[in-house]
Amino acid sequence: MDSPPLICNGKEGRKDMKWSKLSTLLVLHIMLLIYSLSGICSKLAAAEPVFSFKFCMYYAIVIGLLGVYAIGWQQVIKHLPLTTAFANKAITILWALVWGILFFHEGITVGKIVGIVFVILGVILFACADEVKENE
Amino acid sequence: MNKQTMIHAAVLLLGVFISAFSQVMLKKAALKTYESKWKEYMNPLVIFAYVLFVGTTFLSIIAYRGIPLSMGPVLESTGYFYVTFFGWTIFHEKINWKKILALFFIVFGIIIYSGILGI
Repeated sequence: MDSPPLICNGKEGRKDMKWSKLSTLLVLHIMLLIYSLSGICSKLAAAEPVFSFKFCMYYAIVIGLLGVYAIGWQQVIKHLPLTTAFANKAITILWALVWGILFFHEGITVGKIVGIVFVILGVILFACADEVKENE
Repeated sequence: MNKQTMIHAAVLLLGVFISAFSQVMLKKAALKTYESKWKEYMNPLVIFAYVLFVGTTFLSIIAYRGIPLSMGPVLESTGYFYVTFFGWTIFHEKINWKKILALFFIVFGIIIYSGILGI
């Protein structure tokens, strides 16, 4: 059976492929955003007495969000190289910084920013370390 | 970083280590062949790995009692260190210079973030 002429055939095919990759990246970032939201709920749960109603509620939301993220992640890595997916995961560090400032009024210092930049660079470099082998 | 923060950070680091260990268990389970799809998921190794994983979410909540939210993912990045170590020792995966440099960046970033160098 011939492969469907939808992808890689001329200008239209390239456009479809580009759109498909962009939409996968968008889904990946929605999943990473969901993952980062689980951090907010963990922090909210941390402020409650252990096994209180609110603690259990936030904990259930954390598990739910992680479940949605896990299912979404499995779907995304079917359409994206693992290295690309892992390199993008570094964005969760930035999200945590933003949520920390917005919701928990956490302080920000030059040291924190520089440290975060190094960690993000490290995560991206780690994700790309096997890229050549994977592409081969 | 005060003593309270350090203790809570240690709890999160323990959780990250356990989480990485649970990944090793899942990988070990994935390498086995099973009679049915059901047994692929419902076997002691996989169930225990998921119990550990859920346990680590509890540890992270405990940790957040004493550390800022922004510190969580920064410390979670130590998972790359454990994954490399387990991959190398248990699954005989190769380490290249890019990975070593990446781990150095991560550790250096954590040290700077935590303020140990006084920045």
